Amino acid sequence: MASLIKTFLLTDLLKGLWTTFKNQKPSKVITEQYPLNRPPVAERYRGAPRLNTHPETSETLCISCNLCALACPEQLIVVTSERNPETKRKDLTTFTYDVSRCMFCGLCEDACPVDALELTQDFELATYTREGQIWDRQMLEEGPLPVRYTH
Amino acid sequence: MEQLLANPYVPPLILTAVIILVFPLIAGYIVLAERKVLADLQVRLGPMRVGPYGVLQPLADALKLMLKEDVIPSQSDKWIFWLAPVLSTFTALSAFAVLPLSDRFFVADVNIGILFILAMSSIGALGLILGGWSANSKYSLMGSLRAAAQMVSYEVPLGFATVTAIMCAGTLSMQGVIASQLERGVWGAFDNYGLMLIPTVLFIIAGTAETNRAPFDLPEAESELVAGFHTEYSGFRWALFFLAEYAAIVVISSLCVTLFFGGWLRPFPNVAALEMPLNTAFPAALFALIALGCSKGVFRQALAGFRLVMAALTGLFLLVAAAFALPAANELMIGLFWFGFKLAVMVYMFIWYRGTFPRFRYDQLMDVGWKWLIPISMFGLILNGVVQLFARG
Repeated sequence: MASLIKTFLLTDLLKGLWTTFKNQKPSKVITEQYPLNRPPVAERYRGAPRLNTHPETSETLCISCNLCALACPEQLIVVTSERNPETKRKDLTTFTYDVSRCMFCGLCEDACPVDALELTQDFELATYTREGQIWDRQMLEEGPLPVRYTH
Repeated sequence: MEQLLANPYVPPLILTAVIILVFPLIAGYIVLAERKVLADLQVRLGPMRVGPYGVLQPLADALKLMLKEDVIPSQSDKWIFWLAPVLSTFTALSAFAVLPLSDRFFVADVNIGILFILAMSSIGALGLILGGWSANSKYSLMGSLRAAAQMVSYEVPLGFATVTAIMCAGTLSMQGVIASQLERGVWGAFDNYGLMLIPTVLFIIAGTAETNRAPFDLPEAESELVAGFHTEYSGFRWALFFLAEYAAIVVISSLCVTLFFGGWLRPFPNVAALEMPLNTAFPAALFALIALGCSKGVFRQALAGFRLVMAALTGLFLLVAAAFALPAANELMIGLFWFGFKLAVMVYMFIWYRGTFPRFRYDQLMDVGWKWLIPISMFGLILNGVVQLFARG
């Protein structure tokens, strides 16, 4: 009898309505306004590669040892260098990194003896052309510059 | 000008033109409100990009729909395919003719007002059926068959609930129903010692089903039938169906407000002490509050254009609030305000149901309609009749 009265008074429906109503709070909204608010990525996230430079002299840290190219399972890194007759060291001339083939395994940054090559937390890697995915030394040092759309 | 307005044909014609021109915009903003409220209920944000907080979204949507290619399926019955959205929109908009928007704003106050609305909404169902049939698509046909069966089933309890209210008011004229509620000093929903609540609840449920809204949206069940009867429609024809759907929602809500919630009367119309707080303070405070909310947006928006829009909205709502404080303007608009306010609450309820209840299965829909709503509505009719007979003599 009690359940019949409950059915007739539509208590279940009213309870449902109340549940949805009380859950609408701006603080509970989890939607991210992506281009305006960028999401925080995990600390160990491996994204865009970067070739580090010396913070003061802004000379490259890379010693052209080629270990990263050897470590890469996809063989997408090409390092070329010239022997400097004065210092007897290799000077880096070009460094290309094909991001389109990269699986972000991080073996190259592990292989690097001087912490020059690093996978950063940057994740906006889209380009308009296939060629744009092949990063040269300048792009690796400066990092990707995606268009910042405000709207 | 005076002479022109004195002509009995001119003010209704002006009002008709205003309704036809303004209603698409209102429907667009009801859609925006629906998307926003639904987003609130589902802990999302809803449209946020076009204009600050998405306030210009309806204009962008309308522009998009108008610019779309006009597609007519090659296997369709072209003439009926063309006719169906026209029929739907025409009937839905013509029902506005008898809505009592306020004590001075209405197109016509005829002595068959409620009958006219019911007749028009029934013909509107024909638009859906023809649309589904003519498209020559299985999904459309299934959707339209469902629409037909559902409308036939739910028209009966809707009719019984309406008849109960008419019996209580003693007239079929929309303004007459409101006048009788003023005379009896109680809203239709609480008349007959509260027994009128039975037809009120039934009317709301059957009205939701009649307008094919969730949880009774089987004719356009996305997960089963793509989009139901309007699967093959696109662009402006689809927009007409959309317009008709929202017009139907507004008409059913208006009918409910008129029959059961006192139409354009303020709450407690017979208590003179509440005249000032409810008729002047409440609307002025409400619009001032909305203006305050908008003014916050002026500072929170980053783009200059968006700030300008928010500032304009703030000014607009402040102006409306100020207008309600002026006695002359207040007298003109207060009926419209209460009708609109009650209508807004009803439309909010429709959206709230959509955000809460899951869709019925087809057999459940028929079960609820025939085995529960129709017997209860007949019972409510008889009960109210008997009580009225003894209470009023």
